[in-house]
This record gives sequence, structure tokens and C-alpha cells, in this order.
Amino acid sequence: MSGARVLLVEDNERNLKLARDVLEFAGFAVTVATSGEEAVTEATRALPDLVLMDLQLPGISGQAALARLREEPRTAAIPVVALTAFAMRSDREQALSSGFDGYLEKPISVRDFPDQVRSHLRPSVRGSP
Amino acid sequence: MAHFADDRVVPASADDPLQLAAQLHETQEQLAATSEILAVLSTSATAPDDVFDAIVGRAKRLFDADAAQIQVVEGGEFLLVRSAGTTREYVDVVTRRRPSARTRATLVGRVALDRAPQQIADVLADPEYSGSDYQREGGFRTIMGVPMMVDDDVVGVLSVWRRTVSPFDEQDEAVLLTFAAQAALAVRTVELVRAVQDGGQLLARKVDQLEALAEVGKAISSTLDPDEVLGTIVLHAVELSAADGGSLMEYDEESGLFRVRTAYGTAEDTLTALKGTRIHIDETLVGSAATSGTPIQVPDLASVERDPHLKVLHDAGWRSLVAIPLTHSARTVGVLVVRRKSTGAFTGETCDMLSAFASQSAVALVNARLYRELEQQRAELAVTSQHKSEFLASMSHELRTPLNAVIGFSEVLLERMFGELNERQEDYLRDILGAGRHLLELLNDVLDLSKVEAGRMELEPTTFPVLDAVHPVLALLRERAAQHHITLQLEVGPDLPHVTADQLRLKQVLLNLVGNAVKFTPDGGTVTVAVARSRDELTVTVADTGMGIAPDDQERIFDSFQQGTRSASASEGTGLGLTLTRRIVELHGGRVWLTSEPGLGSTFGFSLPQPQAVTAHDGAGWSRAALDDARPTVVVIEDDPSSSELVGVHLTAAGLRPVPVRSGEEGLAAVRDLRPSAVVLDIRLPGMDGWDVLGELKADPELARTPVVVVSVLPDSRRGFALGASDYLVKPVAGEVLLGAVWRAVAEHDHVLGGGRRTLVAIDDDPLALELVRATLEPQGWRVVTYTRGSDALQSIALSAPSVVLVDLRMPDTDGFEVIEALRADPRTNAVPVVVLTAKTLTTEDRARLQGRIEFVASKSQLDLGLLAQRLARVARRGTAAEATP
Repeated sequence: MSGARVLLVEDNERNLKLARDVLEFAGFAVTVATSGEEAVTEATRALPDLVLMDLQLPGISGQAALARLREEPRTAAIPVVALTAFAMRSDREQALSSGFDGYLEKPISVRDFPDQVRSHLRPSVRGSP
Repeated sequence: MAHFADDRVVPASADDPLQLAAQLHETQEQLAATSEILAVLSTSATAPDDVFDAIVGRAKRLFDADAAQIQVVEGGEFLLVRSAGTTREYVDVVTRRRPSARTRATLVGRVALDRAPQQIADVLADPEYSGSDYQREGGFRTIMGVPMMVDDDVVGVLSVWRRTVSPFDEQDEAVLLTFAAQAALAVRTVELVRAVQDGGQLLARKVDQLEALAEVGKAISSTLDPDEVLGTIVLHAVELSAADGGSLMEYDEESGLFRVRTAYGTAEDTLTALKGTRIHIDETLVGSAATSGTPIQVPDLASVERDPHLKVLHDAGWRSLVAIPLTHSARTVGVLVVRRKSTGAFTGETCDMLSAFASQSAVALVNARLYRELEQQRAELAVTSQHKSEFLASMSHELRTPLNAVIGFSEVLLERMFGELNERQEDYLRDILGAGRHLLELLNDVLDLSKVEAGRMELEPTTFPVLDAVHPVLALLRERAAQHHITLQLEVGPDLPHVTADQLRLKQVLLNLVGNAVKFTPDGGTVTVAVARSRDELTVTVADTGMGIAPDDQERIFDSFQQGTRSASASEGTGLGLTLTRRIVELHGGRVWLTSEPGLGSTFGFSLPQPQAVTAHDGAGWSRAALDDARPTVVVIEDDPSSSELVGVHLTAAGLRPVPVRSGEEGLAAVRDLRPSAVVLDIRLPGMDGWDVLGELKADPELARTPVVVVSVLPDSRRGFALGASDYLVKPVAGEVLLGAVWRAVAEHDHVLGGGRRTLVAIDDDPLALELVRATLEPQGWRVVTYTRGSDALQSIALSAPSVVLVDLRMPDTDGFEVIEALRADPRTNAVPVVVLTAKTLTTEDRARLQGRIEFVASKSQLDLGLLAQRLARVARRGTAAEATP
């Protein structure tokens, strides 16, 4: 049985590869997008269980992409977690107050990352991967 | 410019408010005394005309004369003041054609010249007598006059006459002399009364002037708004000189132009015209006044050649003016112009008074300029600071992005996600991972440190069990310690309740100190962490059995990128950890220290001041033993624990010792017992409310002088002040507002009780820097004494023993290094704490010269005044605490 489906939105090629490999190794099914617009299209098409979103993206920002996902009824309820290299206390507060369900900082800890992602899944899909 | 009357005046010294107040007081007392004299005189000896009437009436009757008269000397002529038996025509003639006091042609002239009685038996037979017109109207033949003498002067003549030739005898003359003496006395009294009256008026005017000066002085010291001060000056200058308007101009040295800053009694369009007029120092009247350094007045603007400035005024209907130069430290800073709509000269007295205003105005102008520069600098600083944090944020982001890949992929491989590794592969991967993490740590420390330096690191204090912070840190390091067979032990005091601090930052400090200790302890050694809590301080020490730190390195080790000699064996640290540790501890109001024996190990320690938890059951909580502390005590009466804690954290960080209590009753007990320097009082309290507490405090003569700062959600400051509160703040209150109010109250209280105020001597050749320091510290209760030359400051420091000396390094004549060396060489000053404030980048050589002689160095290029003030307060506190310890 396939694991929880995660849409990974990340414009940095290496970091995309790292997060994808780590998540796939942990049993997640990963699709990717490298811009905010692509993320919205892909999320609407694939309806993943969770979106991991970088904040600084080419084109529309992570926040703007989040807003579009929330506007679209089919994607409105998908948990969206920020994954970012912004590390100030205020960045975290700002992201959470703008509607992200979680906030993960880069660099990621390879050992903990899959569990951190899993903790943001809705309970119904949490057990799968 | 020949038209201009040159009116040189000596400016009164008016820039010392204390002197001014004393002068005002003295003059007011003189005025009061003079009024009493006047009152006595007016009830007793008084109306001279009554006396004169009595005299001429009695003389006429007594000597059987046809008429008697009294004439007084005024301006070399005789003025008829009283007569009896004369016709109106005669009085008219004598009044109109006053007889001269310097001729023998009349009787009165002869009396005045000879200063002796005279008689003309028959005026018609006297060849020298030429008062024929008087004689025609009076019809007298025999006339006798005697002088009225005051001191040695003839002030008048009393004379009697007969229309028949019938000479007066010697006895008549003697009696007439006694009458004349009475008349003279009356004249003298009048003169005295007039003199006293004049004096009284003079004094009253003087009081007005002094009061105005005092008011201006008050405005200068009480408002930061320079335009308000300048406005006050012009207003008073115009009113006191009974003029119609005026203006204050500021001089700009660079362009040589005067700019009108403020005006009074001046039409809007005239003011606009004045502001738009080019007023050059070489081309205008005000310029001449400034250049010559003396007031210049124009009694009639229509009659002089008018420069552009005067032309604007003349066209607007102004007719006369006086321009008073304003100088400060021998430099022209501006001109005060007072004008009238009518022609006429300004009196010397007015000019004197205006010159006194000039010195006030000069100070105000200089202040205004400083504030403007200060504002500008603040704005620039804010922009720079904004750029800096934006840069840091983006740098952090850009570095973190590739680090994520470096660290992550190393971990992926080390986790064997994609297969087994051989030993060498694993070894290299650990190197890559280690290097990546090191970079990350460095990045985090740089960010933190720059936040501290920019004053942007905000503590988020909470109260928690202290072991909540200690245990996770030890757990994190236990593995590494075990790898090296290092024993990691924890010693805790018997009573370790909660601690108030920023938990995350406390962990960071612990991780750094314990991490260092583990890192620098050889295999098989021991690291001991000891945690103890006294009544008002949490103390943590971390002792290792490492190689120790040489004495020379012990201070340096807290500087950035200094690891002392131990860096030879290990270079894993960021070089910022200890710097950051110290800054974080200092932000909490605590301190860091180090003791080390080379070869035996090192002990790093830090302390965090703690607000005291005083509960209703803990009656001994504020026992006098707790007062072995030089910090001013502040009783905080607040029932809401989080508000109380917040206030406590602010007060602690600012160098005060908060004693929190939860109710009004406890508060009163604490104030009675502790005699604190101030009270912070909430109004809504369980049981006895804040109003009752305030009322009771102010009603007790022993406690009434304790200043109370009310902090409440109720916006009822009138009631608060009416009940005697020192300050009234409405929640939510910003930390610095609260601190400002409390410090003011504490300073006032300690000052009133004669306690030592914290004094700072600041030495800097840049007056702006001095002004910045003053503007920052004075509101916090400091007394700031400034010097622009190091040599001048030394004597004062030796005599006054200030709490701290703040010195610039680069100065002409005696530089900062020399000042510090001189201070340290003098036994009277060798213990005075010195702080360096400089724009100079310190070289290794500089550091060596300062080593062990100063408290710390603050950089002007990245100056955070708030932080500097905090650190200075801490230094001052340590100084007093050290003195208090035997």
C-alpha cells in the first residue's frame, strides 16, 4: 500500500532532491513543484495529503500560493507546512499567523524530518506510511 | 551705518538657573522691605503740600506780612510751589517766568548764591533788583528770604514780603529759618519717598525680568521642543521690553546667513517674507550686531539706509528695533530682534535685560541644533539598522539554503539510507557533516550577536523550574561526554524553586558553557555543573578539569573570535559563544565570571538576578538581610502574577530590586519594613484597593515621601495625582516608560533623602556626543557632568568620585588613554570604573593599553544608547556594591 502523498514545493534543486529522497525513503509518495503557480496547479490536480512549501519561490511566494490553495474548495483543507531557511523567531510567528499549519526550518534533520512531516498529516492518513 | 546708536551693554549672567533663582528671591525680598518703608512713610510724614500750606500760612500771619511763598529749585530755576496772600496773576507770572537760581537780580537768586538769608528793604530802591514784572504783579516793597537746606544744597527758598517798606528784624529772620528747615524736611521726605518709590518700581521691573528669565530657563530645561523654548524667549523679550514684536534668528556658519526660527507679534505674511529674505552676516544690521558682539538699535527705521531685512520690516510698518547678538562659546549662533511699531530708542535698561535673554537664547538655539542633529542621527541610525537587519536576514537565508543540502545529504548517507559505507567514507562524511554544522552554529551565533548589538534581542522571560533548562542541556551533551569518558555531574542546592528568565536563552548559555567545558576537558576528566539560588539571584558555575586559561587570556576570552591558547588543541567553537553568553546574561541584568588555574581547570560562572517571590505566608521575605544589596528597592504591589513578573523583570534588568507583593495590606507592610526607594502600585487589588493604599501611605508622615508610581487600567490620573502619586501610567505600559517613571521617582527620593545620586563624568571633545549621553542618562536619574578636555576632568573626578567615567579615546591635547592612565595612577581615582566610548577601531596595542583598566568599550559607530545606559547602570551598581562590602 502506498504511503501518504506529499507535494513538495521547492525551487532549490539540491534541497528538493534531499527532501524528496528522505521522504521517499521513509515511505511517502512525493510529487514536486518548483514554483508557487506550479504548486497550485499540481495540488489541484493531485490533491495530496499534505503540502510542504518553501516560502521564497520564483513567481508567486509561498504565502500567495497558500492563499490560492485556501480559496479553492478542493484544496482548502489540505495541511500546508512551511519549509524554509528563514530562521528568525518573527519569521515563524509570521508564517503561522498567515495560515500555515506548521513551520519547519532548514537545515532539516534527516533523522527527524519524516516524523515532523507526519505529525502534520490529518489523523485519518497519519498511520499509512 | 553711522545712524545707528551704539548701545553697549553688559549682559547679565542668566544661564545659570540656580543663580537666577537666588537672584530672583533676593530681589523679591528687597521689594517687600521697600513696600513696608513706603507704607510707613505714607501714613506719617507725607503730603508735603499740606506742610507747605501750613508753613506759608503761619509765616504770613506771624511776621505780619502781606504774603509768604515757598519756591523750590528745579533745573536751576525756582518753581513756586505754595504761597499765601498772593493773587492768581502773580502766581501765573512766577510760574511762567521762573526766576533763575543763578542771578543776583532776584531775592531768591541771591539766597541761592549766598546760601544765606537775604532781605531787600525796598526792592524799588535796589539797583541790582530786576524782578520788576513779579514786583508789578505782587506789589511788594520789603522782601526777606531764607534758604531751605538739604544737606549742603539749597533746595528752595521761603520768603515773606510786605507791600510797604517795612524791614523784618533779626528775630523774624531766625524764626523764618526754623520754618525753612521744616519745609526743607518736607522736601527731603518727598525726595526720599520718590526715591524709594522709584526704587520699588525698579525692583518690581527687575522681578518681572528675573521671573521671565526663570520661566525661560524652566522652558529650556523642561521641554525637548526647541521651537517652544525659542517661542517662549521671544515672547518674554517682547513683553518685558514693552515692544510690539520680535524674532529669533539662527546663524548658519557655512552659508553666513541668518534664518528666522521663530517670531512673536508678527503678521503671518511678514514672517513668511522674513523667512524668505537673504540675511547675510556681512550685509545686514543684524550681521553687524553679530560681528561686533554688541547690541545695535535703530530708533527710526525710516531715517536709515535699509538692508533687505530692515526693508521687509519697514514695509510691514515697523519703526524701530534693537538687535541683540547671541553667542555661545565665543561663536555667533544667532540674533534676537525686538521691534516696535513706533519710533524711539530702547533704554539702556531694556538692552541690559535683552542681553540677559541673549545668553538664554543662545543656549536654547544650541540645544535646538543639537536636538535636530540628534533626530537626524536617530533617523539615519534607524535606516542603517533596518538595512543591517535586512542584510542579516537575507544572508542567513542564503547560507542556510546550501547548508541544508550539505548537512542533509551527509546525514542521508550516514543514516545508511542507500547502503553501507566503508570506514574512510564514513570518516569523511562525518567531517563534511561536522563542518556543515559548525558553519550553521557560526551563522546562528552571528545572527544572535548582531541582534544583541543592535538592541534587538528581546527577552521573553517566563518563570519555570530551573532544572527544566538544565536537564535537556546535560542530556544533549551526555553522549559526547561519555565518548570521552568525561564525568558530567550536577550539583543542585537544596532549595531550587522557579527561576525567571528567557528559557531558550538560558539553555543557550548553559549549552555554551557546559559544551565548552566538555570540549576542553581531556578524556577521563570531570565537568561539574552547580546550580544555586539565593534570595535574589540564580548562580550557575561550570567547572572543568581542563588545562585552564592563562591570566592574560581570561578577559580576552569573552571577546569575539578569541579562544585563548586552548584554541591550539581544538578549533571547533565559533569564537562567538562566550561573547554571546556574556551578552545574554547581561541582558538579564546578570554577570559572567571566570576563575582559572592553568593546569588545574577553569570555572565559568554566571548569575541572573531574580525578582523575589514574596507571599503572604512568607513574612520574613523582606527581612533586612535581603537588603545587603546596593540596588534601590522598589515594592511592586500587583495582584496579577504575570503583570507583576513583567514589572519585576524590567526593574531587575534596569538595576533595581523589585519586591513583589500581591495585596495592598502586604504592600503597606513591605513599605513600612523596607523603606523602599519607590512603590509601583496597581489600583484594582483584592481587599484594600490601590486608592486606599496610596491614601494610607501619604497619610503616614514617615512614609509620605516614598514616591508612588501608579500603574493601572483605570485612566484616572487626576485622582492619582490628587492623592499624591508621583506618576500615573495607564496599562499597558511600555517597559521604558515604566522604567523612566520609576527611575525618576527613585532619583527624586534618593536625592531628597540626601543619598548619592549616580554621577557620570563624560569626557569627549564632541559636544554632540556629550549631549547624547546627557539626554539619555539624565531622565534615568543620573547626574551627568561633561568635559570636552581630559585635563579639565581629572581634578573633578578626583574630588567628586563619580560612579562612572565615560571617556572618548581620540581627543586633542590629553587623549583617552592618557586620561585612563592618569586616573589609574592616582590613588584617589584608581578604583573609579571607566567605560570607553569611541569611534576608533581598537588595535591589539590599544587593547593591551586598556587591558584590566576599564569596564568595557562601547563603539560609537553602532551605538545603542539604551543598552549603553543599562550597562553603565550595572557598572555603577557594582561600584557601590563593592564599596559597601567591607
